[in-house]
Amino acid sequence: MRSRRWTPSRVATTLLLALIGLLFAFPLFYLVATSLKTKADLFAPVPSLWPPNPTLEPYYDVLVTRGFSELLVNSIVVGLGATALAICIAFAICYPITRLPAPRRLRGFVLSWSLSLRFLPPVAVVIPYFAIVRAIGLYNQLPALILVYTIFNLPLAIWMLRGFLDEIPLEIEEAALVDGASRWYAFRHIVLPLARTAILAVGIIVFAFDWAEFLFAFILTATPQAMTFPVGVQGLVTQFEIIWNDMAAGGVIAILIPLTLMLIARRHVMTGLTFGVIREK
Amino acid sequence: MSAASADTLAAGGRIRTAWTARSRQERLVYKLLLPVLGTVVVLATIPFVLAVIQSLTSDTRGFVGLDNYARALSNPLLYESIKQTALYGAIALPVEILGGLGIALLVHRTVRSSGLRAAIYVAAMIPIVIPQIAVGVVFRLVFAPDYGILNVMLGLTGPSQPLWLSVPQLALVATAAVDIWQWTPFVYLVMFAGLQTVPSESVEAAQVDGATNLTLFRFIELPYLRPLILLVLFFRIADVIRVFDQVYVLTGGGPGTTTQYLSLYIYRIGFKFSDLGQASALAVVVMVSMTLFYTVVSRFLPADRR
Repeated sequence: MRSRRWTPSRVATTLLLALIGLLFAFPLFYLVATSLKTKADLFAPVPSLWPPNPTLEPYYDVLVTRGFSELLVNSIVVGLGATALAICIAFAICYPITRLPAPRRLRGFVLSWSLSLRFLPPVAVVIPYFAIVRAIGLYNQLPALILVYTIFNLPLAIWMLRGFLDEIPLEIEEAALVDGASRWYAFRHIVLPLARTAILAVGIIVFAFDWAEFLFAFILTATPQAMTFPVGVQGLVTQFEIIWNDMAAGGVIAILIPLTLMLIARRHVMTGLTFGVIREK
Repeated sequence: MSAASADTLAAGGRIRTAWTARSRQERLVYKLLLPVLGTVVVLATIPFVLAVIQSLTSDTRGFVGLDNYARALSNPLLYESIKQTALYGAIALPVEILGGLGIALLVHRTVRSSGLRAAIYVAAMIPIVIPQIAVGVVFRLVFAPDYGILNVMLGLTGPSQPLWLSVPQLALVATAAVDIWQWTPFVYLVMFAGLQTVPSESVEAAQVDGATNLTLFRFIELPYLRPLILLVLFFRIADVIRVFDQVYVLTGGGPGTTTQYLSLYIYRIGFKFSDLGQASALAVVVMVSMTLFYTVVSRFLPADRR
């Protein structure tokens, strides 16, 4: 059955798969190519597939001349803040439901309720948040974004973390408790070190989601003081006269960060996206 | 006798200590969980309560009853938007699910090298992790007139070239194509992972019995994939309702109202027309509908299998 012979149908399917791959990769290739073009290249009558004089100028333009580095810093600050908060809260919620004899119904409620948040469209939630944020004077402030992102990505953090915590055998902790350790000591010196990879994986994925978020930042901020990077990129796409190479460079930067993170945590991406249904061995 | 009673006593004592230890642990559950969970549930519920309040009031006239709901639900643009959203989903979802499933079967049957499989796995993850705004950037470069690579590749430039983002029917198809580009790989990954859970003994037994590829799929593999197909479908429906970023930067909801999908419509009512009353009414309707949708589908979702 498992022959490696190149039968005609095998060649055909391989070619088909290669074609599909090419179709998917091509738009991204053109994005990168455009981001390496000079201003002069943009006026070629027919846009070239390959940058004739590759340059990093558009990246400099976006980050320095247009001042997007400030937005980049905002995005990172918001991402780190919201990720740290989400992990702490998710830990506080997941520890009792995975490590202690929590009633099944309570556990079911936590998981089901948090998953239900995944089904709410952000635009419906942002309208009341907009009112709250203005009322408490946090409009156009990074803390508002941190708070909103924390809540919005909490379900993801809870579901991923509970999956990881379920995998740490209860016996290890119980052994320490029998030996007279306090629960806090067992948590601090046994569960926490064992959960280090889990925390890293959850953190990376939650950060990538925070980084990509657009609608909340778009509505809750107004000036570069609090705008995030995607909001800046949006400006490059919707302006009247699009500067193609700058826009492409903005796109590449926006992609590069989550892409790098996801490659690092690639074994956990699908677990996160499917709320634990797909688990990597 | 005394030995027996001592025994029962000891057993009772053990039971009692175990019982109190257990109830102490259960108390610890509540002590740890309730403050945090309570705060989070409140924080996540405030928006809903506030949306209900906003939807029943007006900035100038105070309490207005169901006025905002009446305006929201009598707006013909709402139904236009729902129709377009449904069309978008009707184009994108079947292609994504059938395409993703098809590619998964192809790879599962053809690609044997585990290194190549891992490479395809990572490659398929790339579109999924691209921020929606950047997806908008990518497809501006594909669909734009004059500079867009699609028309260049098709050899269609000049005044008669197709304007993918500004002709009504084309814009709908173009935005759906973007969705297909980004999410077919996701379906592929889920289906491929599902195929790996099919026990190889069943497959081999079927093959010994002379099953064709089609019967193998229909009777051996499909039963394993069915829950995953449902899961993908539910998640993707929720995603179609929230489609915003990439469509906003590609068409802004236009031309006319062709690509003004539900999220863009609510955004427009709330923030372009600054009619937060009507937008809140819409938000409440959507939140309630999606919660109902979730309640119905959650039975098919992986709630708690322990």
